[in-house]
Amino acid sequence: MQWWCAAQGIPWDWSWRPYPGVWLFIAALCLAYRTLTRGAAPSRLEVARFAGGALILWVALDWPVGALGSGYLASVHMVQFLLIALLAPPLLIAGLPRAALERVRGVRATALLGFAARPLIALLLFHAIVIATHWPEVVDSLMASQAGSLALDMAWLGGGLVFWWPVVSPIPHRPRFPLGVRICYLIASTVLMTLPYVFLTFAELPFYATYELAPPVGALSAGEDQRLAGLIMRIGGGAILWTAAGVLFWFWYRSENDTAR
Amino acid sequence: MRPGRVVAAAAVACGIGLAGFACASPDTAIDRTEGTGELRGLALERPFEAPEFALTDSRGRRFDFRRETAGSLTLLFFGYTNCPDICPVQMAVLGAALDDLPYADRREVDVVFVTTDPARDTPERLRSWLDLFDASSVGLRGEMETVNEIQAGFHLPSARIEGTSPPPGAGEPYFVGHATPVVAVTGDGVVRALYPSGVRQTDWRHDLPLLLRLNRSVSKPGDEAGTSG
Repeated sequence: MQWWCAAQGIPWDWSWRPYPGVWLFIAALCLAYRTLTRGAAPSRLEVARFAGGALILWVALDWPVGALGSGYLASVHMVQFLLIALLAPPLLIAGLPRAALERVRGVRATALLGFAARPLIALLLFHAIVIATHWPEVVDSLMASQAGSLALDMAWLGGGLVFWWPVVSPIPHRPRFPLGVRICYLIASTVLMTLPYVFLTFAELPFYATYELAPPVGALSAGEDQRLAGLIMRIGGGAILWTAAGVLFWFWYRSENDTAR
Repeated sequence: MRPGRVVAAAAVACGIGLAGFACASPDTAIDRTEGTGELRGLALERPFEAPEFALTDSRGRRFDFRRETAGSLTLLFFGYTNCPDICPVQMAVLGAALDDLPYADRREVDVVFVTTDPARDTPERLRSWLDLFDASSVGLRGEMETVNEIQAGFHLPSARIEGTSPPPGAGEPYFVGHATPVVAVTGDGVVRALYPSGVRQTDWRHDLPLLLRLNRSVSKPGDEAGTSG
């Protein structure tokens, strides 16, 4: 039995497989939320947001998405990336009540997050993680073991939390990061993500040995699978970031109107 | 460390990363083969004569291996269409690599697939499965004993039925254990190299021009190249 999804090299079948490490991780996350919010009275909306983020993480890490993405299809691996790094973190952060964050503000770990989540540092750190975790040698060596696969998933989640913190946090660490600049921050990210997309989509040969030499699933060739991964990164990632930018623009527009009145 | 320095260092690291990604290509990927000499495949130190044999192709015609493949670079593989892992990957990687070859070079390469599961691999099934990877490839069938004798001639282990006691009953699922390398035979009927499972498109892209060059040199009378085994 595997604890965490990793490439095994065995033929794929659609029979369910348990990954207890994923369940323990999600349970620990929920427990941490409960501990953090004790006495902070999170609203129903905040609880729903956090639960949504945890649910997305669970879907991304467990069978079948986690298993397919870790050892069979680069395109599903990219779906995992979008779910873990771009979709789940803003929901997890938005689910934290302000009172709970105020309470732990002085803790050293949160001070580190506060430093890493400065917009420019967060932007560079996140995209450095995106590039490193899509590097062929890194992917091939990490996906071969459960510990490596776990490290990659946690790098995506950590990078995603740092990236979204300046945009979503109920306690912005940089009050000088106004809505208009946040929109630019998100748009800059869509531009930076273009590079990995270009190399994945237009590469002549498959980048990743893990997926090129994986037992086949469906009719996609390794090259087609890689191109699909690039398109998912471009279209899916773009959709998430542009939607977030659109929502911020709406808030910005409304606040400008309120100020004008 | 001051925040400004951290930002500068992160910017430099990110820049290096982006530049590196731009330079990264599958050619720099891990070479999983233990190639000797120029080839990334397993170049044989002692090339040997391929055995003479004849089997039936998917159109029901007799296929004399040495005669039909004389002058061509032949890539020979023993496998079966129900294989869940090695065979489809080997054939897909090879098929994609051959697609990249210029037309003139592609015409010099024959792909021959010999089934190690003649009971289930009917001519129709063999043809439709091979067409998924390379429509020009030749699929051959013969009795299991004959196929194993041919494999022995290529110094490959015999295929054997696994997962059930042979002979399997009708409709009973089973696997066939078989040799995994693609065998490269030059136009003079000499086995030159083996390509075990794990060989990638980038390895074929590297080796096919070298094998074709070797094939041309041995196919011309008077050129130096021969067997030692």
